Amino acid sequence: MRDRITAALDQIRAEEGLKARTNDYLMQQIRTGSEKRTMPGRRPAVAILAAACCLVLFVCVAGYRLYFTATSAISIDINPSLELQINRFDRVISVEGYNDDGMALAQQLEIRFLDYQSAIEAILENETVADCLGRHELLSITVVGEDEDQSLKLLQGVQRCTAGQQNVHCHSGNAHEVEAAHQAGLSFGKYQAFLELQALDPSVTAEEAGRMTMREIFDRIAQLTQGVPQGEGSASSSWHGGGHHRGRHS
Amino acid sequence: MRCEQEVNRALGRYADTVRRICMIHLKNYADVEDIFQTVFLKYLVSPVVFESEEHEKAWMIRVTINACRDLLRSFFRSRTVALDDLIEQPSALAPEHREVLDAILSLPKKYRDVVYLHYYEGYTAPQIGRILGKNPNTVYTHLTRSKQLLRDRLGGDEDA
Repeated sequence: MRDRITAALDQIRAEEGLKARTNDYLMQQIRTGSEKRTMPGRRPAVAILAAACCLVLFVCVAGYRLYFTATSAISIDINPSLELQINRFDRVISVEGYNDDGMALAQQLEIRFLDYQSAIEAILENETVADCLGRHELLSITVVGEDEDQSLKLLQGVQRCTAGQQNVHCHSGNAHEVEAAHQAGLSFGKYQAFLELQALDPSVTAEEAGRMTMREIFDRIAQLTQGVPQGEGSASSSWHGGGHHRGRHS
Repeated sequence: MRCEQEVNRALGRYADTVRRICMIHLKNYADVEDIFQTVFLKYLVSPVVFESEEHEKAWMIRVTINACRDLLRSFFRSRTVALDDLIEQPSALAPEHREVLDAILSLPKKYRDVVYLHYYEGYTAPQIGRILGKNPNTVYTHLTRSKQLLRDRLGGDEDA
């Protein structure tokens, strides 16, 4: 049996073409020096594909986090109270209303992902806000952020946007004060006005302040500090925003 | 990485051995070229220093068997096999050789290696055990059973 098996298997030999192709392949490997390849054309392709997928995933996740992380906020108070979250690219990533009017206005506005200046212009052109300004209500715009450079840039941009408006205050604040404002259920601008009013009249609550317009708050402050009758005061000259604000009357 | 001369020498010396192992393992001729490239590329890049020609030959056999097993694990390679699919020119085989090769291919896979290594390469059961990573007693058992199966199919003497 051994002889028969040996004789049969002796008939099986590597074909010359097979040896020649293998030899060509090996010489090519020696020339290119790609000794890390272990299976012809398969594993490197899989490894490159896997690495490319990981890179794409990483870029997507990192890009998403970069874009959707708020680095500043712009608080807008007239009667509607709004707050815009701004990312590092100066784009609006969310709009939140802080009272009923503010929530209604946030629903109407289509400013998400807009540049902050375009968003401010859209808000000023909104019918509700334009009506309020037409009634000489006071509009307070506060820029808040931990990055002072970005905050300054945003503040200057907001001031340019509101340069032609009457009764508009622009200032900057800091992140800790914003947190306290949110805990009180108020936007930052209104919270600052509320604190000033509360210092003069401790009976005023945050809830009451939330229902008042900025004009009403300022008039009340003016009344308490100067004895000016309600509705006739010049609130813009009496109010000072908190923090290291750069107050400005337009 | 080994040099060009070493690769040429190995290809000349072991191509037939690798080809025979491919014949008893693979299910079609198209896979043979893959195995050749895989085995000889491993030889090219392997840092193993061989103590002797026997050591080198045993390494080559083990690498070839493992490469064939890896290839056969593929989901797409589970159909049955015919001798005509395994060699380039099956018509050139004499009927008596074809009968023996068919008998070997009819054995369960686990017996084919020990039959080849014992009858053709002349290895003993302990040597086969070292090459295949099996207990020598298991090799003895496989040899005894495969001998019986081959005798049933081919007839013949008690030698083997």
